[in-house]
Amino acid sequence: MSFLAPLLLLGLAGLLVPIAIHLIGRRRAKVVRFAALEFLIATRRRTARRFQLRERLLLLVRVLLCVALPLAVAKPFTSCASRGPLVARGPQAAVLIVDDSFTAGYRLDGRTLLGRAVDEAARLLTQLGPEAEVAVVRASEGAVHPTELSREHLRLRDQLADLSPTARPADLDRALARAAQLLSGSNHARRTIYLLSPLTTAALRGADPPWGADGPTLEVLDIRNGAALPNLAVVGLRVEPDPGAGSRGIAAVAEIANHSLLPAAGVTVNLKVAGQIIARGQVDLAPGETKHKRFLATLPPGRRSAEVAVELPTDALPADDRRHAMAQLRDEVRVLLVDGDPHAARHDDELFYVEAALRPGDRAEAGTVVTKITPDELDDAELEQHDVVVLANVAALPADPVARLAAWVTAGGGLLVAPGDRVDPAAYERTMLPLLPQSLRDPIDTAWGAAPDERAARALHLTKWEADHPIFAPFARDAPGLSDARFTKIVLLGPTTDTDDRKVLARFTNGAAALVEARKGDGRLLLYASTLDRDWNDLPIHPGYLPLIQESVRHLARRRVEGAAAAMLVGQGTSLPTLDLRKLEVRGPEHTGAVFEGARIEGRRAVRFTGTDAPGIYRVIGTDRTGATRDRDELEFAVNLDPRGSDLSPAPANLIPGAGAGVETRSRPSERRVELWHALAAALLVLLLVESVLIQRAR
Amino acid sequence: MPRLDPVALARLGSLPLKARVIVEGALSGLHRARLHGSSVEFAEHKEYSPGDELRHVDWRAYAKLDRYYVKQYEQESQLTVFVVLDGSGSMRFAGAGISKLEYAGLCLAALAYLVVQQQDKIGLLVFGGPGGDILVPARARTSHLTDVLGVIDGAIAGDSGDDGSPAAALDRVGELARRKRALVVLASDLFDPDDRTVAALRRLRAQRHDVAVLHILAPEERSFPYEGLTLFEALESDHRLLANPAAIRKDYLDRMDGFLRRVSDELTAAGVEYHLCPTDRAVEDTLLELLATRQRLQLSGARR
Repeated sequence: MSFLAPLLLLGLAGLLVPIAIHLIGRRRAKVVRFAALEFLIATRRRTARRFQLRERLLLLVRVLLCVALPLAVAKPFTSCASRGPLVARGPQAAVLIVDDSFTAGYRLDGRTLLGRAVDEAARLLTQLGPEAEVAVVRASEGAVHPTELSREHLRLRDQLADLSPTARPADLDRALARAAQLLSGSNHARRTIYLLSPLTTAALRGADPPWGADGPTLEVLDIRNGAALPNLAVVGLRVEPDPGAGSRGIAAVAEIANHSLLPAAGVTVNLKVAGQIIARGQVDLAPGETKHKRFLATLPPGRRSAEVAVELPTDALPADDRRHAMAQLRDEVRVLLVDGDPHAARHDDELFYVEAALRPGDRAEAGTVVTKITPDELDDAELEQHDVVVLANVAALPADPVARLAAWVTAGGGLLVAPGDRVDPAAYERTMLPLLPQSLRDPIDTAWGAAPDERAARALHLTKWEADHPIFAPFARDAPGLSDARFTKIVLLGPTTDTDDRKVLARFTNGAAALVEARKGDGRLLLYASTLDRDWNDLPIHPGYLPLIQESVRHLARRRVEGAAAAMLVGQGTSLPTLDLRKLEVRGPEHTGAVFEGARIEGRRAVRFTGTDAPGIYRVIGTDRTGATRDRDELEFAVNLDPRGSDLSPAPANLIPGAGAGVETRSRPSERRVELWHALAAALLVLLLVESVLIQRAR
Repeated sequence: MPRLDPVALARLGSLPLKARVIVEGALSGLHRARLHGSSVEFAEHKEYSPGDELRHVDWRAYAKLDRYYVKQYEQESQLTVFVVLDGSGSMRFAGAGISKLEYAGLCLAALAYLVVQQQDKIGLLVFGGPGGDILVPARARTSHLTDVLGVIDGAIAGDSGDDGSPAAALDRVGELARRKRALVVLASDLFDPDDRTVAALRRLRAQRHDVAVLHILAPEERSFPYEGLTLFEALESDHRLLANPAAIRKDYLDRMDGFLRRVSDELTAAGVEYHLCPTDRAVEDTLLELLATRQRLQLSGARR
C-alpha cells in the first residue's frame, strides 16, 4: 500500500487524543459523597460489565476514527494485476461477446466459466459508463443476436443475468462478424469488441477477421485465466441391432475421449437402456486419446425400440458426460407369398421351405409377417399392406395384375421372382417383363441324360456371390452352407444392355446368373434362377438357405419409415414423415418440442422439426384420422451435443483474430491502481455512526 | 402562613431557639398545638348545657332516658414521649440543602419543646454516633429540655459514627418505657444494614406503645440528579464507585421506589405511623402532619 500524500500520516499522532481523554476523564470524575451507596452498588453490579464494555468500545471506536481520518486524507492506494482490459469511461461503442456455449458450463474453482464471463461483462459495463452504447452478443452457435447498440444498461445487465449455458458449441467467428457489423453502424471514434471466452480450439474456426484496417479494437479476455481444462466426454454413440445378442439384441458402441494432458485410468462407463443401467465397463485413456467401448444388450421384453444412453462419471463439464441414442430393432417385414404350385401335402408345397425360413419355429419374434395366397387371389390382395411379394413358381400373370405389381414396386415395394415348372419363359416374355430384371430363357437340366451316380457330379453350385452385399453379409466368402448346395436345374436369363440398375449378386459354377437384382423406381426386383423348394435344387436343406431367404426379404423390404438420423446434433433440423396422420407432436427434453396439425401437416408427406435445442430423446406422438393417439416409436430420435465443443484445449494464438493492421489485441495482465480512500471514508462514516449510537445508549 | 425554609431555619442559631421558633412561631397560629397520646379514658356523664360539643352527646343515653347527657373523658395522667435520633453516617448526607441529621434534629427538637410545654415527659436516645448510644431519660421538667436539645445539638455537630442499627436502640427504648405506655418517635433514613428495624418497631407496638417513624430522605436520594462521570463515596465506609449516573439512574430509582414502598407497607401493616420527610420540606409541615395524625388517632380512640 502506498500514499499520495504521506506527510498527512503525521495526523496519526491524533490517536493519542482519545486515549488521553479517556484516562483524564476517569481522573476528573466528580466526587459525590452519597448515602444510598448500597443501592448504587447493587445496581452497578448488573451494569458494570456492560458499562466497561461500552466504555472500551467507545475508546476503540474513537481511536479508529483518529487513525482512519489521517489515513483517508493521505489517499492510500494499492496496485493489483488485472486480467481485464483497461477500460476508458465515456462516449464510445462497445460489444460484449459472451461465450454461452455448453463449454461455458465448465466449472472451474466452483464457478462456471459463463458465471465468470458474466461477472466480467457486468464489470466492463460499469467501467464503460452510462454514455457508452453497448450490445451483448452471445457466442453460441445459432444464437439470436441483437440488431443495434443500446444505452439501456439496466436491460443489458438483465440480459447478462439471464444467460445460461446453451447446448450448442461456440461459434466465435460468427459472433465477431456480428459485433463488427453492429459497430460499423456507430459514429463513435472509439469502438471496441470485448471477447469473453475460454477461447477453445473448436470455438475459433480460423476465419479471417471480419473487419479491415479501420476496424474496432479487439480486447480478448480469456476467462479460463490460462488454466488447463481437462475433460472426459462421450463424443459418439452408435446403436444397432445385433442378432448375436438375441432377437432383441443390440450393440452399442460408445466413443470416449480424454481431452486432457493427463491419462485417465479406470473410467467407468455405464450403459443405460430404457432408463436402467444394464451394463458397466471401464476404459483407460491416454492423454488426448479416444477409445471405443462396445456393449451388447437386449431391449426390454415387448419393446422394439428404447432409449439408450452412455454415461461417464460427472466431471467439471457434465453436459458431455452423457450421450443418447435410440435403439430400433428391425421392423417386421410383411411378406406376401404367392404360391404358384400349392399342394395339400405341406412338404410338397412350393412355399413350404420359404415359410419355414421366414418364420422359423413360427415364433412371433421372427421379424416377419407372412401371408400366403394363390395367384387367383392376387387381384384382391392389398399390396400396400405388404413390404415384399414373392412369386414362387407362378405362371405368367395377366397384364393388369402385372401393372399393379409394377406400380407397387415403383412406389417402394420389393419383389422376389423364383421360377419353377409352371413358369413359361415365353409367356413371361409377353407379360411379366415389367417385373423382371432380366428376361427368362428356357431352363437347363444338368442331370438330364446323366446316370444316377453322375448326377451329383454334374450339379451346379453357387459361387462368386457379392460378399459385400447385404444379402450375403452373414456369409463368409466360402460359406459351405451355400456352396455345398446342388442345383440340378436352373433357368437361364436373356441378354440385356440395361446395366445401370441391374446387378448379378451370385452366379453358378457354369457362369450363369443365380441371383439378379435391379432397382425399379423406389423399389427392388430380385430374380432367383432356381426354385424356392427342392424341385430343382437341395439348397433348402442346407444351412445357408434360411439366412439367404431372410436377408433377401429384408433387403427387398421397402423402408416404410426412414427414421431420423441417428447422429443428430443440437440445433440440427430433421424431417419427419407425416404417415398420413392428422396431428404430430414432438416432445423433447427440457420442455422443447412442437405440434404439427392443421395446415402445418395437411397434404404434406413430411414436416421439418428444428427445435432440437436440448440433448436427449425426442418422442413423437401421432394422432391418426380416427383420432387414436399413440407414441410413434419408429419416429423417435436422439439429439446430442456437438462433440467438437468437448475439446477445451486452448486455441493457438494464430487462430485468435486481430492480427491485422489497425487492430489491437490485448489479453495480457495489466497493472491497475486501486484507491482505498473511498473505503476508508466509508469506514469513517460507519465509525461515526457507531460512536453516536454508543453515546446515545450511554445516556 | 409562610413556611420556614429548613435551610434558613438552620442558620438561626442555637437549637433551642430553632425549636421555639418552630413551635411558637409557626405552629401557634394554626390552632392549639398539642401532642396527644392515644389513650384517653371515659370518666362520667354530665347533663348537656349550651356550649358543650355536640359530638360528645351520648345518643344511647338520650334514647333510654330522653335527656341529653354529654360524655366526659379523662386523659391519662401524663404522656411519655421517647424520641430516637439516627446519628449514623448516612444521616449526614446533605445534598443541596441541610443534612438529613440536621433535619431530623430540628424535627425532634421542636417535638421535645412541644412536649415539655404541655408538661409531658420527653426522653431521647441517639444511636449510631461516634461515642455509641446517648440516652437522656424521660423527664417533664423545663430544665430537662435543655439536656435533650443539647444532646441533639451535639449529635448534629459531632463526627459521623458507625453505621448503627436502629433496632438495638428501639429495643432499649422498649425496656426503658417498661409497662408505662409511651409514644416513640424514630427519625431515621432507615438504611438499616441488618434489616431488623421493622421487627423492632413491631415489638414496640406489641408492648402497646404508640410508634411513629419520620423517614428522612434527601431529595437527591429520590431523584438521583447527577450527570457525567461521577465517583460516589460512601458516608459510612470506604466504599467508592465510579459510574456514569445516566447508565444506572433508572435501575437505582427503581430500587429506591421499591425500598420506599416496602418500608411504607411493612410499617403500616405493623400499625406504625409512617411519615416520609424529604429534607426540603418545611419542618413545621412535618410536625403538623405528625400532630394531626396523633389527634386523629386520639379521636378515633375516643369514639371506640
